[in-house]
Amino acid sequence: MRAESSQQTADHAELLDRRRLLSLGLVGLGPKTERPVQGRFVDDSHELAHRLRDRTIRALPKAEVRIPVVIVGAGIAGLSAAWWLERRGFRDFLLLELEKQPGGNSRWGENEVSAYPWGAHYLPLPNQESTLVRELCREFGLLDAQGSWQERHLCHSPQERLFLHGRWQEGLEPELGVTRKQRDQFRRFHEKMQQFRETRQFTLPMELGAKPSPLDRISFSEWLRQEGFDSPYLLWYVDYACRDDYGSRARDTSAWAGIHYFAARERAERGPLTWPEGNGWLVRKLLIKLAKYVRTQSMVGAIRRRQGRLSVEARETAYLAQAVIWAAPTFVLRYVFEECPDTSGLTYSPWLTANLTLDRMPAERDSERAWDNVLFDSPALGYVVATHQNLASRTERSVWTYYWALADQPPARIRQMLLEKDWHFWKEEILRDLERAHPDIRQCVSRIDILRLGHAMVRPYPGWIFGETRRRLLAWSSDIVLANSDLSGLSVFEEAQYRGVRAAERVLRRLGRT
Amino acid sequence: MIAACGLVYELLAGTLASYLLGDSVLQFSTVIGSYLFAMGIGSYLSKFIGTGLVSKFVQIELMVGLIGGFSSTILFLGFAYTQGFRLLLYALVVVIGVLVGLEIPIMMRILKDRFEFRDLVAQVLTFDYLGALGASLLFPLWLVPKLGLVRGALFFGALNTLVALWTTYLFRERIGGLTRLRALCVAGLAALGVGLAYEHQILDLADSNLYADEVILARNTRYQRIVVTKWRDDVRLFLNAHLQFSSRDEHRYHEALVHPGMSAVAGARRALVLGGGDGLAVRELLRYPSVEQITLVDLDPEMTSLFRSHPLLTSLNRGALSHSKVRVINADAFTWLESNDEMFDFVVMDFPDPTNFSLGKLYTTAFYRLLGRHLAQGGLAVAQSTSPLFARQSFWCVAETMKQAGFQVYPYHAYVPSFGEWGFILAGKRPYSPPQDLPSGLRFLTPAMLPQLFEFPADMGPVPAAPNRLNDQTLVRYYEQEWSRIAR
Repeated sequence: MRAESSQQTADHAELLDRRRLLSLGLVGLGPKTERPVQGRFVDDSHELAHRLRDRTIRALPKAEVRIPVVIVGAGIAGLSAAWWLERRGFRDFLLLELEKQPGGNSRWGENEVSAYPWGAHYLPLPNQESTLVRELCREFGLLDAQGSWQERHLCHSPQERLFLHGRWQEGLEPELGVTRKQRDQFRRFHEKMQQFRETRQFTLPMELGAKPSPLDRISFSEWLRQEGFDSPYLLWYVDYACRDDYGSRARDTSAWAGIHYFAARERAERGPLTWPEGNGWLVRKLLIKLAKYVRTQSMVGAIRRRQGRLSVEARETAYLAQAVIWAAPTFVLRYVFEECPDTSGLTYSPWLTANLTLDRMPAERDSERAWDNVLFDSPALGYVVATHQNLASRTERSVWTYYWALADQPPARIRQMLLEKDWHFWKEEILRDLERAHPDIRQCVSRIDILRLGHAMVRPYPGWIFGETRRRLLAWSSDIVLANSDLSGLSVFEEAQYRGVRAAERVLRRLGRT
Repeated sequence: MIAACGLVYELLAGTLASYLLGDSVLQFSTVIGSYLFAMGIGSYLSKFIGTGLVSKFVQIELMVGLIGGFSSTILFLGFAYTQGFRLLLYALVVVIGVLVGLEIPIMMRILKDRFEFRDLVAQVLTFDYLGALGASLLFPLWLVPKLGLVRGALFFGALNTLVALWTTYLFRERIGGLTRLRALCVAGLAALGVGLAYEHQILDLADSNLYADEVILARNTRYQRIVVTKWRDDVRLFLNAHLQFSSRDEHRYHEALVHPGMSAVAGARRALVLGGGDGLAVRELLRYPSVEQITLVDLDPEMTSLFRSHPLLTSLNRGALSHSKVRVINADAFTWLESNDEMFDFVVMDFPDPTNFSLGKLYTTAFYRLLGRHLAQGGLAVAQSTSPLFARQSFWCVAETMKQAGFQVYPYHAYVPSFGEWGFILAGKRPYSPPQDLPSGLRFLTPAMLPQLFEFPADMGPVPAAPNRLNDQTLVRYYEQEWSRIAR
């Protein structure tokens, strides 16, 4: 088929058609019929929430309820505040939640195959200093009196694998094709992180150790450059960590926050704790005692001062409270409360989470499926297997949770895109990404449900952790007590729980119940 | 296109050879070398082709398509059925090389009237090298992952044949016997099409011949591939090509697995066998009159029904699975144990070796703790625990894991010729000493020899090992390291 003159291009086109025909008819080589993939967007409350922003909520409350304390937001911060109030024997409170289901970033779903997470899916083994997390773990039977962890809920082997250069390797630190020099950079990087760990300034909760540091004034990328780290594998690894924990690229992340990710936890831990529904398991456990306080589908439209109390208006009810714990994202407060302090410095990363139902597992060559499966150089974060903690030695159907921190463009642009693009667009993006590692993925997936999160987590951009806005928010003293983890600048379970418990303590003090 | 196809066969041969023979550097160098050399021969031979160039070209294309297309299939089958795989490999490489070597000179001669010589050489070689680039990129990125080696070759064979067919159309006025040539091309395409359609059966054929003896039964179940072979009176069972037993010495294995423990539990009434769908451990348990019920939990229903119904197999387990005392449950052992609270006096764990993390779960502290909750007061459990000689640390890892789960452990071993020196671990929450009596009719064990089984020679003795936990499956890693040192 070479040395053709141009007049033969017409023949050529005809040939292609004929070849396709022949290959379809004779050889049966047509593309395998693709199974229809079903699914939809599962988020529906953003429209409601946007009415807050646009101030188009007009309904006036018809009923009035007097209650000493109202907690707004039933995510981990709000539930932890409630957990603490309950433990202290204080029961005169309610939890108002915008969504149909409590849990916030730890909410979950379930279908006939498995329960699965919509957000946070694991809890790292807490250090000694994370006393509240340890206490919760003891209460839920995860940690016994001798200090050993319940094996059943520790992430089973194999835990992580990375698809690199066309094949899977164990662990997320790139090894295939990494030169000795580049390996040395990894070693030096971990040594640096160990030195930071030893300063005891990088703790969970962060407030225990954090001291103002010039590291917060530069980006993590800049810090790496200054330290002479240039291995593309190390830079990918670090960037992956930032996208995974903060939803932002290393170049958009404060070096202090980036270091915190690595330095706040011991490297040798054999964790994390995980469950099919992710941290939804912890929410479920919390709800055993707390469900009776929760009012779902109760979006708070306004908070006003009335009769010397705070009138928290949600749907058709006004809750007259002495104190309010604001555990919803802090930036929302300015749309409902006039006295709200300036929150303009708060930035949130947009995310997309998809749950893929698989009727069979894609074929594996020379590798066993891990819990966390990451594709090198993918724009997304990879997928987590919801059935990984099943005890059965064989799973045929599964649910994979695919995480995608949309960090390549400014958050506002991405949010616009999240509203504009339809489900088919994201479905194709996801399948195309996974197809690189699993060529037969389209024959396995029967359903893809997608959750769009415009403000998934606070972004610790350079200057935020020790900056003016955060300092002001922390110093704000009112009968509305802020509790969301965005106050820490780190959207993780430990911070949300700590902020929630601290807020509960402050409220108890305000009410004179200590 | 031609260059692309030619290169693809060469890459296929190289890949297949390194896949089947190992040492990819050697395989690729020799395949590429002999291929290039053969192309030289082809170029030389081209001068002996005088007339009817186009029709010769079509025939050559067709032959390349057929031989190249079936090359992977032939090599796979050749590896399974013949001794002379290498000979076959290089013969194929040389034949394809000669044919491909013929192509370009002939093509240049066909086109020599249409172009200036310098244009001709430039164009032909440009496209030739371009095709080579295309093929070398297409091969690893698309062909191997999407189609696999066998289907990939057949696919490119079909492309070659189509080129032949297309040539008969392009040069229709310069070819004699057009109809015959076209018919040949279509026949070639059809053959390749049949190859593609029956690719699976062909591979199965290759597979069945990897077993030394006559395959009397082969079945792909949802869970595994079951193969039973027979040679004279030796019946062997393979699961996923791993030998499970040979009828010549399975009595040694199963007597050693069951009796040292079972005979030490006085008046054991309820027994549980996990794994062991062949019913051979059940057969041994049925020797005890005190036993009232034996529960067998095996994942694969086809496995247990096979060993309940096939005459050859039921003669081995003496119809154990149809015995009135025996209850067969097809379930995953771990989830089954978790889903009920039945108690047992004696438990046999006869799982496949921990070759992967899925199987490794059945050897973890979590599993043994769960097992402990099903063990009656004074009861015992025993696990087949791979070879303490070949996989010494793996064996002692199982012992350590059981200890961590709160058991007292009593490791022992026995010699089973088809496996070699094999290990078992008895576990209980009470002291154990070998029983004085054994059931009658045993062919291997005697009461007098029992204490010796618990003695370990120096090269199999205890070594330190970390316990096997769900979150850090040390055993699977030990096992992989140790067996990879021995297995070839």
